[in-house]
Amino acid sequence: MTKPVTLTINGIQVEAPPGTLIVDAAKKVGFDIPVFCYHPKMEPVGMCRECLVEIGRPVIDRATGEAVLEEDGSPKIQFGSKLELACATPVSPGMVVLGKSDNAKAGRDDILEFLLTSHPLDCPICDKGGECPLQDLTMAWGPGVSRFLYEEKQHLAKRYPLGELIMLDRERCIQCGRCVRFQDIFADDRVIGFSQRGRSLEIVSYSEPGFDSYWSGNTTDICPVGALTTMDFRFGARPWELRLAASICSQCAVGCNLALNVRREVVTGGDWVVKRVMPRQNEEVNEIWICDKGRFGHHYAEQGPKRLEQPLVRKNGELQPASWDEALDLIAERFGSAGAGLFTLAGSRLANEDLFNLDQLTRRLGGKTGLYTHMGGGKLTTQVGLTPGSNFKDLGGGGENEPPDAVLVVGCDLEEEAPVWWLLLRQAAKRGAAVIALNPRATKLDRDARFSLRYPFGSAAAAVLAMTSSLSQKPHDLPESIQDLSRNPDLKAAAKAFAEARNALVIFGSEGMGLAESAALAQACANLLLTTGHTGKPNNGLLGAWPRANEQGAWELGWEADANLLEHLSQAEALYIVAADPVNDDAAFQSAFGSDKFVVVQDLYLSQTARLADVVLPVQSWIEREGSYTSGGRRVQRFYPAIQSTTAMPPKTEAPGVRRASVLTGSVPELQGPQADFAIPSLIAERLQMDGLNHSSAAAVFAQIGETVPVFAGLTYQKLAEVHEQWPIVGRADMYYGGTLYENTQGLGVQLELARTGAPAQPQPAWSQVEDFRLPKLGLMAFPVTRLYDQGSTLMHTELLHQRIGESFVVLNGFDAARLKISHGGKARITFNTSAQSVIVQVRLDAALPERVVLVPRSFGLSIDAPTPVEVRPAG
Amino acid sequence: MLERKYLAEKYAQEIQAILEKYPSDRRQSAVMPLLYLAQRDKMYVSREDILEIGEILGITSTEVASLIGFYTLYYDQPKGVYRIQVCVDLPCALRGAEKFLTELCDRLGIQPGETTPDGLIAIEPVMCLAACDKAPMFQVQSGAGLTYHENQTVENALSLIEQLRRDAAGRRVAGHERGRDANG
Repeated sequence: MTKPVTLTINGIQVEAPPGTLIVDAAKKVGFDIPVFCYHPKMEPVGMCRECLVEIGRPVIDRATGEAVLEEDGSPKIQFGSKLELACATPVSPGMVVLGKSDNAKAGRDDILEFLLTSHPLDCPICDKGGECPLQDLTMAWGPGVSRFLYEEKQHLAKRYPLGELIMLDRERCIQCGRCVRFQDIFADDRVIGFSQRGRSLEIVSYSEPGFDSYWSGNTTDICPVGALTTMDFRFGARPWELRLAASICSQCAVGCNLALNVRREVVTGGDWVVKRVMPRQNEEVNEIWICDKGRFGHHYAEQGPKRLEQPLVRKNGELQPASWDEALDLIAERFGSAGAGLFTLAGSRLANEDLFNLDQLTRRLGGKTGLYTHMGGGKLTTQVGLTPGSNFKDLGGGGENEPPDAVLVVGCDLEEEAPVWWLLLRQAAKRGAAVIALNPRATKLDRDARFSLRYPFGSAAAAVLAMTSSLSQKPHDLPESIQDLSRNPDLKAAAKAFAEARNALVIFGSEGMGLAESAALAQACANLLLTTGHTGKPNNGLLGAWPRANEQGAWELGWEADANLLEHLSQAEALYIVAADPVNDDAAFQSAFGSDKFVVVQDLYLSQTARLADVVLPVQSWIEREGSYTSGGRRVQRFYPAIQSTTAMPPKTEAPGVRRASVLTGSVPELQGPQADFAIPSLIAERLQMDGLNHSSAAAVFAQIGETVPVFAGLTYQKLAEVHEQWPIVGRADMYYGGTLYENTQGLGVQLELARTGAPAQPQPAWSQVEDFRLPKLGLMAFPVTRLYDQGSTLMHTELLHQRIGESFVVLNGFDAARLKISHGGKARITFNTSAQSVIVQVRLDAALPERVVLVPRSFGLSIDAPTPVEVRPAG
Repeated sequence: MLERKYLAEKYAQEIQAILEKYPSDRRQSAVMPLLYLAQRDKMYVSREDILEIGEILGITSTEVASLIGFYTLYYDQPKGVYRIQVCVDLPCALRGAEKFLTELCDRLGIQPGETTPDGLIAIEPVMCLAACDKAPMFQVQSGAGLTYHENQTVENALSLIEQLRRDAAGRRVAGHERGRDANG
């Protein structure tokens, strides 16, 4: 450890590590130096000059090198003739900083006077008003009047859309450059920039679509004025009208901490409405950033006319509204008689509490459960996954005598599958961590990767085996398809860097893979980790870039991906399908329904699968209830109810209608409206005279999880709600420092210990299990890929993103495009040889793709669960 | 992706020669000469050119456009066949550059920043052109390139403008004749 520097700030003696900037050192002792352009997550640029302070330094006698002393024995301090920047000046020993002196105040006052000569002061109509750094600092430090001519104010475009997500007000911009720097440093999408100079400087975007980045919303948080606002929130509410509910993002496995801002509105009859989604600080998960899908993709969870409001029971062939009692009685009777014939299929956007209760009910009846996902290998992540104390922020270049950390990302387009992990890895790479991108095609991660390696499509597991093999004295027999890669000296170098790394972890995805292939890949990755000793300690292990928020939680609770889904659905006597819509994803599943099978579907909307059900049960969305998710990093985190659930009564009812009776009271005679997913299996159990299933509250269910599931042992909601001080300090009255994001006061969550299943995990002799995958000699092969913005039934509720999602498409390689005379943006008919599904879609070209390869994005209306042969023909 | 690569087709050799001057990992440094090449073609850099230069150098079109905005040398809008840029930075102003600019514009009947009614001559004030000791001075940009004109008087400048107008008319006639030959 280097010795801390001692200095004095505003008369208070302070210690700070060498290199600390004055502005941060002051912040740590509770003194806020105002800033506009400085941001604690970015290097200083000194553009706005608002952080002016007086700085004095001890006078050193050049002859002796000793400090010159005053008559009273104190060191003589020499102050500079001008004010200096607190944001760009590091602390030095004996330094005296005066942040509140008349000189410093006068300097800030003048800077604000200058800034306001080109700012419209339209606070009453500005979305930022009420949480605006410029407004706050003008009140605190600014002049009451201006010496400049008011008529000479800059007049610029007030409505300049930077694309359809972000609106720019050029008059309000104070040219701090935070947005441009964020896009450069963090997002690596240089799609907004400065044009012109000096007073004429303005923000421009030339990308197509405008501001083409998954990260654009973050710039609105760190913009210190109302220049950048989201189209979603613009003119939506005043900040002081908003209340906050702590939440966790439901879109992917990263588990970003969110703050849902809500208020009551007339249009909803006085019900609570989510007005905007903001990041909530968790330096161990998402720091202070979220992607635009997390920020804008929550609309599916809102109340709306298409939401299911009451149970439906099939009578005379039609689904008809019914009471909860009627529906639950029927279900209890049929599930009870089905017994072992019950098959419960659950989607992984369900909370831990839901999955636990569904499992309990099914298991006690003797039935089977299955997790609905396209990705396997989760069991391994419970054995060799991350352990408590892991944090992407710790990854970097190692120490003086330590090798750098290494991260292998394999079979995964990380920015598309787990965006914030990509953002954090880019920062880790900048700190010196060796990022190894091992993929079948180029991805954005390659830009920051030390090693970018390619394997042929279909050979992900074999590629990881080749890495492990290259470390072995006795090389293994590798499949033919991977021979070229195994001879690549970079592969050997990457494997060596991984093996020798201080810490090493593997993130695997589902690029081009189905369930079987991703499970094989996970095993290969676990082998690599186990043979190199990178398991069982913090910042080492295996992470899945799961498609949904709580897939890790499902695996931890004993759920497993169902590899024989069609068979299980077909053979079951009764089906309980929760938060899954298999029929929509693949029409082939329809064959499993019908006859005298009893089908219960529990969902937010009347899904394709629900249309085939005998009973449909309405549920509360994640923003309407309490629960917990387990992130891909094995962190269990709580989300809190943000709004009340949909009422069965329309708001215009004259008589004070029966409000939805809450299950929370426990002894309500009649249930109304949607219920929480965890409550329903418990209510069914109650009717079957089965005890031990809790539905009184999510906390009670979680307590039960803590008692029954070993990895959750000792965990309670109170533990999950614990916080400790995080750096940088954000989200208090000092929004000019970190932005308008929120401080975490509601819980940082807890990382799970590894599952101890008897003997410690051993590498599996999986060499022979990896089949030599070859593209067919003739014809095209389609591989499923994940896009962040897809046509999934949840995201399509966000109309704002429709343009970015675009129409259904496939990506074709250049060779076959030329052979078939299909151009970029053209139309083609794609026919799946196995399912005979045939549709006309848009074709995008990727000249870098190998011959005979077609990429088919998931959730774009095309049924693809694994690599499959296809035919492509030009159409129109 | 651009359907048609106008610059690459028309100036393949020039682009190659420019790129060869820079190390392969510093390709983006070639943005200045490429912008100049594009501008010489039609006296401004079009949106398509911005996209194409970005693609050639592996940088975003926004980054290319930012540079056009930063440098007074480049334009993203067509304006005048000849662009006269008068330096009015402090040393030049001390030698009468501001007065020179105003008088010249008065004589042409336009305001600084405007174009003459015939669409040929655009005049604008710019910052430092690095010829402080020879002010009043200006540079003329046209399809033929850049020329410096130092120690100027309004009369000098006006006769140069007359010459430019005659050149333009001559080229128009030549252009017509070529057209007739091709048709005939």
